[in-house]
Amino acid sequence: MKEAFWTIYEKEGTKKVLASLISILVGLLVGVIIVVIVGLCKDTITGQGIWDGIRLIFAGVLCTGRDAAGSLTFGYNPQTLGNMLFRATPLIMTGLSIAVAYKTGLFNIGAPGQYLMGTMASLMIALGIPSEAVPTQLIWLLAFLGGIALGALWGAVPGALKAFLNINEVLACIMTNWLAANIVTWAFDVSNFKNLVENTKAGYIYKTSFNGVQTAKLGLDQIFPGSQVNGGILVAILFAAAMYILMNKTTLGYQLKACGSNRHAARYAGINDKGSIILSMAIAGGLAGGGAALYWLSGNTEFYWSTYQSLPAAGFNGIPVALLAISNPIGVIFTAVFMAMLDIVGQQLTGFTAYNEYITDVIISVIVYLSAFSLVIRMMLPGRKKAASAGSAPDSQPRDNAQKGDEQA
Amino acid sequence: MESEYIIEMCNIRKEFPGIVANDDITLQLRRGEIHALLGENGAGKSTLMSVLFGLYQPEAGVIKKNGKEVKIHSPNDATALHIGMVHQHFKLVDVFTVLDNIILGAEDTKLGFLQRSLARKKVQQLSETYKLHVDLDAKVEDITVGMQQRTEILKMLYRDNEVLIFDEPTAVLTPQEIDELMEIMRGFTREGKSILFITHKLNEIMAVADRCTVLRKGRLVGTVDIKDTNKQQLSNMMVGRPVQLQVQKEDAVPGDVILDVKGLTVHAKTGRKNAVHDVSFQVRAGEIVCIAGIDGNGQTELVYGLTGMEKAAGTITLCGRDISRLSIRKRSESGISHIPEDRHKHGLVLDDTLENNIVLQSFRDKQFQHLGFIKRDAVRSYAEKIIGQYDVRSGQGPVTIARSMSGGNQQKAIVGRELDRENPLLIAVQPTRGLDVGAIEYIHSQLVAQRDAGKAVLLVSLELEEVMNVSDRILVMYEGEIVGQLDPKTTTPQELGLYMAGAKRGGKGGQA
Repeated sequence: MKEAFWTIYEKEGTKKVLASLISILVGLLVGVIIVVIVGLCKDTITGQGIWDGIRLIFAGVLCTGRDAAGSLTFGYNPQTLGNMLFRATPLIMTGLSIAVAYKTGLFNIGAPGQYLMGTMASLMIALGIPSEAVPTQLIWLLAFLGGIALGALWGAVPGALKAFLNINEVLACIMTNWLAANIVTWAFDVSNFKNLVENTKAGYIYKTSFNGVQTAKLGLDQIFPGSQVNGGILVAILFAAAMYILMNKTTLGYQLKACGSNRHAARYAGINDKGSIILSMAIAGGLAGGGAALYWLSGNTEFYWSTYQSLPAAGFNGIPVALLAISNPIGVIFTAVFMAMLDIVGQQLTGFTAYNEYITDVIISVIVYLSAFSLVIRMMLPGRKKAASAGSAPDSQPRDNAQKGDEQA
Repeated sequence: MESEYIIEMCNIRKEFPGIVANDDITLQLRRGEIHALLGENGAGKSTLMSVLFGLYQPEAGVIKKNGKEVKIHSPNDATALHIGMVHQHFKLVDVFTVLDNIILGAEDTKLGFLQRSLARKKVQQLSETYKLHVDLDAKVEDITVGMQQRTEILKMLYRDNEVLIFDEPTAVLTPQEIDELMEIMRGFTREGKSILFITHKLNEIMAVADRCTVLRKGRLVGTVDIKDTNKQQLSNMMVGRPVQLQVQKEDAVPGDVILDVKGLTVHAKTGRKNAVHDVSFQVRAGEIVCIAGIDGNGQTELVYGLTGMEKAAGTITLCGRDISRLSIRKRSESGISHIPEDRHKHGLVLDDTLENNIVLQSFRDKQFQHLGFIKRDAVRSYAEKIIGQYDVRSGQGPVTIARSMSGGNQQKAIVGRELDRENPLLIAVQPTRGLDVGAIEYIHSQLVAQRDAGKAVLLVSLELEEVMNVSDRILVMYEGEIVGQLDPKTTTPQELGLYMAGAKRGGKGGQA
């Protein structure tokens, strides 16, 4: 029994998961500390207020409001849970985008740009095709595929730059992000999709439901009444499963990973290295673009079209989602839901206490930092005595040392 | 009173989980001697030297310098004791100049400013004293491997080291550079420096060493005086059984032309000259044709041109089929096995598992995939077959990460993978580079077995001994051209050397 525990514990995968869980826990604890400090510094927050804040950090998604006596009540809250799943939908997709790229040796920091291009394509198709002439389900499908296609194209650009000109994909992605932001702003600026009917709020695009296009609920609105959740979450989960299969079970995934791990060896073995890099980035871009489509096609969200000064957070938040999930597509589902939960927690803090949602941003930042250090955490995990240096067979020693030396140099 | 020995490592024991890398090893280095440390890959040579250099702490045993016990906890301690090491894989900053690399970590400064001119003077003096010619202002990435090694040696001298450890220094050198290095090493001992020379090349030990300590599987086999021993005895001590130093083979019976190259030209990455210029030759079934030459004379590019890794002009015909316009993959599939020159860069995906590396080219075969889905079981059992057949030793079998394997076993995995593809042409580029006698014997016998099975073998080698022993026909490359064809049975190493140095060309046959 004890032996079995150690066998599982010593596995690399277990340690990775533990490292992620520790990151999350420490992040939440930092959140708690901030809640306490802020509470002590602010006169308006009582001891009870601090306790409320702490409880919300851990269980905000289950908070149902305040009762007549003014104390927080907790229980099954279908609305917040549904909203959590709704917000997790694009995060799963951008998280997958970054995870898949990372597995193939590429850092896709271009997800925000791909997300924006996906936004543009899906919104324009959803609003541009007259719903009198074409069935709305078909428009939805075209808009979804359009979002994926334009995102993929946008991801392929830095991929091609890397493959043919050896330009670092991170630099190229930063560039394509801002190109996308400006192109999208311009495109909507000259379009007639700007919402002029409800002009209480300036600068928004029509919801896709204006044209009768919205994601099917697939019964989820029955389970989570009053929330924004729709079938998109199921599509995202399906994509996660598909990516897991692609990366782990198929020759294509093998080829992409081999190329990402050692481009020269892949080329030697007759793998088209340039094509593989471009394809990796296109898949990553397609996922980010598809995430945007799933978010906007819900029909109940409005897109603020003037994006030339800011990039969508959903794109960047894919990075911590992928990091926490150790780039495992299935893990991405859970980490995306967790990140969405923190988002809801932020809302609850703002809504029910004197705290605001920025505390959850701090928590997310801490988690991101720690997950970037997850290798360090993994090394700090206590091992069995003697096994501390496991895995370093003496044969490998000279090479390991040589490598260490190279890194120092 | 000065001790006879400058360094003594007494009863050193170093364990790693599951294995004893050094078991009660004693090594005594006399002042002013060249002491060779001989052993197969994984015999514990590098571990022992890492203990001396402070990279590992031994579980038992003491280290003495000049008869006094010392503790070496880190390479800094070793440096303070004037122990220096030239590592097998150089530790140089590619984008720095030679001079900057030499002084890196031991810079003389004045008010925080680098005193380069002082350093330059000292380095120049050293390089003249020991005839270590380097271009101090060249960047490391632009200079030859030999010069990089001289830079490493100057680094040790600059730090006034008196005990010099050379970790397989000749693995990357040409025959001429090896001779130069031997001379330099003798020069050091005349100056009273003591040298520990890790190697598994017996010729070099016989040529330069005074004494030799042999390790096998982490244990001390013995220390012998070189003048009282010979190559055969040393190799038997190292391997633990009688070793066939001479390659056993019958005369070749060449059959049909398998590879026919006409006017192959490959442009150089830098400079205007062609790396390979108008090269034509044939390789027939059942013969081993060896491309000999000093490193950098176009052999690498020739192979790149043949396998499609670089664009080339001219025609390449394989088994009667023109493959000169095909992609790398198509060429490989049409019948080329290729043991690449650089097993880390091209041969393996180091961070992937052994089994995945074994199917690096063949993962698309029907055998290993169905509708694009990899058949894991088929891959596993195939990998196990290769591992068994070619005696690839690793920690965890098929799922071992390639990086954690020893160089010899990495190479065996590649050799197994390439040979098992049963292609009519085998291109083997420096297949025994950096391997020990046992592994070399094995790989040579495999090459001959391929030949005898009717395969055409194109061997590219920098090692004169390998060229003379293994090949049936020698083509010498010099500055991108084939300058001579020689018969190993009738030629001498001296004559071959003249061709390799470009002093002689044409000869018997010229273009083959």
